[in-house]
Amino acid sequence: MHTGHYISGAGHLALIGWVLFGGVFSSEPDPVEVREVSILSEEEFAALTERSQPPESTQDIDAPPVPEAEPEPSPEPPAPEPEPAPEPPPQPEAVTPPEPETAPEPVAPEPQADAQDDVAAPPQPDPEIDAPEVSERPVPRPVPRVAPEPLPEPEPEAEVAPDVAEAIEPEPSDTPADEPQEPQEAQAPEAAASEIVTEAEEPSRAPDASVRPRVRPARPTPVAEPDPEPEPEPDTQTAAAPEPESEPAPEPEPEPQQTPPEDLGSGIEDALAEALGGGGTTDPQPDVPVGPPMTSGERDAFRVAVQSCWVVDVGSQAANVTVTIGMDMQQSGQVVTDSIERLSASGGDARAIETAFQAARRAILRCQGDGYDLPSEKYGQWDRIEITFDPSGMRVR
Amino acid sequence: MRRLLLTLLGLAALLPVLAAPVAAQDGPLRIDITEGVIEPVPIALPAFVDEGGAGELAQRITQVVADDLTGTGLFRRIPREAFISSVTSFASPVQYADWRAINAQALITGAVSVSGGRVSVKFRLYDVFAGTELGEGMQFAAGEDGWRRLAHKVADQVYSRITGEGGYFDSRVVFVSESGPKDARAKRLAIMDYDGANVQYLTDSGSIVLAPRFSPDGGRVIYTSYATGSPRIHVLNVGDVQSRVLPAQSGDMSFAPRFTPNGQGLLYSATSGSNTDIYRMDISSGQTSAITSGPAIETAPSYSPDGSRIVFESDRSGSQQLYIMSAGGGEPTRISFGPGRYGTPVWSPRGDLIAFTKQNAGRFHIGVMRTDGSEERLLTASFLDESPTWAPNGRVIMFARETQGAQGSSSLYTVDVSGRNLKPVPTPDGASDPSWGPLQ
Repeated sequence: MHTGHYISGAGHLALIGWVLFGGVFSSEPDPVEVREVSILSEEEFAALTERSQPPESTQDIDAPPVPEAEPEPSPEPPAPEPEPAPEPPPQPEAVTPPEPETAPEPVAPEPQADAQDDVAAPPQPDPEIDAPEVSERPVPRPVPRVAPEPLPEPEPEAEVAPDVAEAIEPEPSDTPADEPQEPQEAQAPEAAASEIVTEAEEPSRAPDASVRPRVRPARPTPVAEPDPEPEPEPDTQTAAAPEPESEPAPEPEPEPQQTPPEDLGSGIEDALAEALGGGGTTDPQPDVPVGPPMTSGERDAFRVAVQSCWVVDVGSQAANVTVTIGMDMQQSGQVVTDSIERLSASGGDARAIETAFQAARRAILRCQGDGYDLPSEKYGQWDRIEITFDPSGMRVR
Repeated sequence: MRRLLLTLLGLAALLPVLAAPVAAQDGPLRIDITEGVIEPVPIALPAFVDEGGAGELAQRITQVVADDLTGTGLFRRIPREAFISSVTSFASPVQYADWRAINAQALITGAVSVSGGRVSVKFRLYDVFAGTELGEGMQFAAGEDGWRRLAHKVADQVYSRITGEGGYFDSRVVFVSESGPKDARAKRLAIMDYDGANVQYLTDSGSIVLAPRFSPDGGRVIYTSYATGSPRIHVLNVGDVQSRVLPAQSGDMSFAPRFTPNGQGLLYSATSGSNTDIYRMDISSGQTSAITSGPAIETAPSYSPDGSRIVFESDRSGSQQLYIMSAGGGEPTRISFGPGRYGTPVWSPRGDLIAFTKQNAGRFHIGVMRTDGSEERLLTASFLDESPTWAPNGRVIMFARETQGAQGSSSLYTVDVSGRNLKPVPTPDGASDPSWGPLQ
């Protein structure tokens, strides 16, 4: 019963197998290559090459497809003659723009002349040397236009760099080479002395350009009066700006030797105290080291130490209160507990303010431990501290 | 390379400027602190001293005080094992250094005595780091069955002195106790301490009861009952547990009652046909007057603490939103504009916030917003959160949370107004519709 099916199936399988493996589809790539390449490029190039070269131009026309892949197949062309032929086609394409300027008829001679002029250099070396053809192609294009100019340019660039370095060198080379290290060493110990420290503060202001505007307006006024009270004031001004490094060491020695200028010395001290802006005659406490101002890092360290103990109840009414607390400090960094006082408060009723104050006070006392880590040499800068506790950024509402 | 070199040189030039001291300050050093820490305040709470006849009661009172304080999330009790010094006498001087060493910010000492069936509790509160007593010592006395209230009183005082706000521990909550399956759930009114202790039932389960509300003085409770067949507002006297239905209620159904701040009247909603409006009733005379009128459904009114305004929910804009209007009526002002539906608004005892229920994207939330609708903040999120009620100090919100499914049940939770310290309130059965009473 199924014999017919088996026969049919076997026949179909045989047919399919023959179609797949029987060589039905034979490749004929050759006609594909011939059809387009030979016809299109041949017409144009033949017209150009017929007048200048022998009838073998047709074979040369076959070559153009090769120059399309010029870099690799270029070594294949055996004779030097066919190569110059393929080169002109790409170049005339680039040169064709000048062609429209002339009439179509004279085009034949003109492009030849133009092509010869422009391409004159490359074709000449080509016939002279066979091997370098491949390497010469990249060379001729950049050489006439790009190579000559960029070559000198990198040189000036290299020259610019040393110029810049030289402009910067003067600062580190001149000062640090001879003197800078010594005066820097002198500055560190100076911090312990009150006078020298004060001078150290002013030069720190000077570079900020805040000192210059002060000096300029001061000049017109002292022009008339400086003479009667000449020396003390100009001494402080001049010593502050230009002589901070050299004078501090020698000055203290001659002054104590010369007893008469005691008044001048006291005047200088007063002037320096005034220059500090710290209250002049009122602030100076002989045993309190004032030191330079607190750095931002020192202030931040203290702030972080206190805020780490400031417990904020964000849902309470006290979270709406901003309170400022004042307190006196001991040189050990401990808070004078009895001195803690509320200076101002805002943002809540009396009960909320009192709660906020108590929370802030607990924070201050709780985190002090054996004393806050504050620079003792600057005790005069933090013997009195005012802290504003502002929970506005933390409160929920 | 050139740019890199210039950049490095520029940074090098800036180093001295960055390292230079800040401008010299005039006068004291001034510091601004804008960031603190949010953490429980460590407190030391040694066991109260037995001064005669207290026995274990002193321990239990101490424990209730500790539970009250730590339950707020604002305090942390330091373990007894960490104590350096012990308190054996209420009158003994405090060794601040010992308590300071264990980082206790506050120390609470107390003593309990029982004599003649009365319990006396006295306490002192110390600011450890300031080395001073915070306030004066106080003493409370009550019958032996009132020892928990004594503990709550002590905790309220401690809480108030440290936080600057009123306490809420000695307060009660009325709620609907639920039992049985969802499709046949028995509901009855119950009252308990704020922490779930001392539950007492005010009604039987013969009829459905809804939405109980404490009077401002805590002596009465108004609620909606189906005892008469349709929802009607009843008033219950907490002292003798006697209730009566209020007369002359407008509409076919009346519900969502809430006392006026003076306790002499109430607001409620009444439905006539398909329209629901808000009415006001004078309890003594039974006289009613309409506060709102219109086709929209307007219900869930709540007075401001001063009684000058009311907040309620309405769908007059097309969706359920919150509105505020004068207590005498007038043009309401919409205050909720977020996505979803807003309902059951309750004005805070502080007067600054309004708690509400919000339904959005298939979730229910308890939230708060300012009275002008600003600063809306959602505190919870679950399958069903509803019925918010404020603690007497306006710091904590209690609400009902129902779980999903046929076997789901409702229970009570509390959450701090900041959104922290969400925790359940233990009840013997299911619970819903809480109403937090005043401080006793």
